[in-house]
Amino acid sequence: MNSTGPRCEWSQRGPAIYTGGQRTIDFTLFTQFLLSGLIMGMLYCLMSMGINFIYGIMKVINWSMGEFFMIGSFAQYLLLLYVFPAHYWYAGVVLAALIVLGIGILVQYTLIKPMFVGIIEAKMEYATIVTIALSIFLRNLAVAIGGPYIYTPPDYAGPTQVLTLPLSGNRVIALLGAIVVLGIFYFFIKKTWAGKAFQGVAQNRSGIQTAGVDVLKYDMLAFGIGTALAGAAGALLAPIFLVHPMCGLAPTVRGFEIIVIAGLGSIPGILLAGLLLGLSESLGSAFISPSFVDIYGFVLLVIILLFKPYGLFGKPERAV
Amino acid sequence: MGLTAAVAVAVGLPAVLSDYWVYVLTIAFFYAAMAASWNLLAGYTGQFSLGHHTFAMISAYVSTLLMAKAGAGFGIGIAVAIFTAVVLSYALGVVCLKVHGLYLALITWAFAEVVRNYLRMHFSFTGGDRGLDSALLFGTLKPLPYYYLFLGITIFTLGVIAFIMYSRIGYYLRAIRDDAIAARSMGINIVRYKVLAFIIASALGGMAGAFYGHTIGLISPVMGDFNEMAMIIIFVVIGGMRTQIGPVVGAILIRIALELLREQSEIRIIILSALVIVVMRFFNGGLMEVFRRLPRWLHLKSAESVSAYEK
Repeated sequence: MNSTGPRCEWSQRGPAIYTGGQRTIDFTLFTQFLLSGLIMGMLYCLMSMGINFIYGIMKVINWSMGEFFMIGSFAQYLLLLYVFPAHYWYAGVVLAALIVLGIGILVQYTLIKPMFVGIIEAKMEYATIVTIALSIFLRNLAVAIGGPYIYTPPDYAGPTQVLTLPLSGNRVIALLGAIVVLGIFYFFIKKTWAGKAFQGVAQNRSGIQTAGVDVLKYDMLAFGIGTALAGAAGALLAPIFLVHPMCGLAPTVRGFEIIVIAGLGSIPGILLAGLLLGLSESLGSAFISPSFVDIYGFVLLVIILLFKPYGLFGKPERAV
Repeated sequence: MGLTAAVAVAVGLPAVLSDYWVYVLTIAFFYAAMAASWNLLAGYTGQFSLGHHTFAMISAYVSTLLMAKAGAGFGIGIAVAIFTAVVLSYALGVVCLKVHGLYLALITWAFAEVVRNYLRMHFSFTGGDRGLDSALLFGTLKPLPYYYLFLGITIFTLGVIAFIMYSRIGYYLRAIRDDAIAARSMGINIVRYKVLAFIIASALGGMAGAFYGHTIGLISPVMGDFNEMAMIIIFVVIGGMRTQIGPVVGAILIRIALELLREQSEIRIIILSALVIVVMRFFNGGLMEVFRRLPRWLHLKSAESVSAYEK
């Protein structure tokens, strides 16, 4: 969130209400912070859903999620700069997500798949180290190619008003986009045959093979879809978080916090945890201090883990 | 035998090197100590902490802040810094190690970012991105005393790890790594020993970090950048996971290589991270495995049975 200094901070947090020690909060501002928290929470969910989906299918955490987010942002920025005019941003989002899907499938095929067919014995160790190395590789490659600069894509929409609340159009669009993407994802998982196959793979990898599902193919697809969710988030959030090599960092931290709060592998938990996190961050920055916005979510996480060690909706692992 | 020779060479080395290279080696020893203590946790216990560099940074800040704001001496500052690392790692370990192997990695990763952003933002107290001036431990910028200090810290870290590995606890930790459920069924309290390993590793990292702050003289949130953690992982993986000397060899050789290639800034870390992927994918064992297999490749030694885990 504040990994790029004051400029980013301003663009995300809206009007600062920190008025020299004496804080005045009226009803309008309060509801605006509430709404802003809900919007950010929804967007973090998108990120978290991708991490959770990959974990559910392959039982590995993809640590390079933030870099796929970054690739999505960069793809969107370049598409809007060279291919589409700015008001076709939705085409850019779709195309950026598809580009990230392709890269994700390539990465899975070359790096993660050998874990399941090869002789690698320590699976978790392998996946963790390889995806962390990949994340460092992609991040520094982005710095080497694009330089350590912050790029600003065109706004998707001008400022709007909901009832009496002034709202940034980019945020409204990002919220609607996130709801649409999550809706498509939900429909895909619950209603299509492939989605049912995914549920089967998540439940029992060897069992589903007896039903004729090619687990390795679905792994590849799952990794692609999970990273594509991050890419779509990156493209949707490009005008809010701006585009730079580290822009995936803050959403990824939130994504990981959310899946820990929710409990690994719980989809309704993710929605609730995402909204809780967004609310705690925006209310914390309203009532305490906007400088320490990263801390509120972490404190929330520690408090929840103290009382519910498996997260809000998590269940103890079944040890076989 | 070889170890004694290596230490003897390291002790004698400053006599023939310029101050510049002595300083490079001093920093290399810091990373060697960090890599070795991370290897205790990740390599031997199978628990991934992604906040190892954060404990070093916190210790450096605690010690420096105590000296600057409360007027403490070096001894108290460093002792409190190590104690802080122990307390924090105990709290985090109890929260996350009860549940799932991945929780520690997830939460320490978030913890690292949170702490780094806190230090950047709380400008009036921590100096923000500008950093803090830290008092020099020996009052001089000449690298020689710091070289011996960090040589000592590295040897101490290796000694602690070797002591643990050859004791009962070391066998417990490896048992937990190989199969946590089997270990539990044999009567090992796996949560307790995982937390213990986390505390020991973090305390060793915190100790190295506290001294490091007083060596470089200027501490800043850059110490908590994730690239630092990546460096530790790179040293351990390329040097050789699950070997006691591997991380040290990796850290020293790669730090020297990085120094020689300092004209190419980002390219170095791009190449290294690609190398880590290649090592993990095709040659899981790193440099130490190369050294071990070298005699066989050169036909100096007949084939022998290969164990995947070093004792």
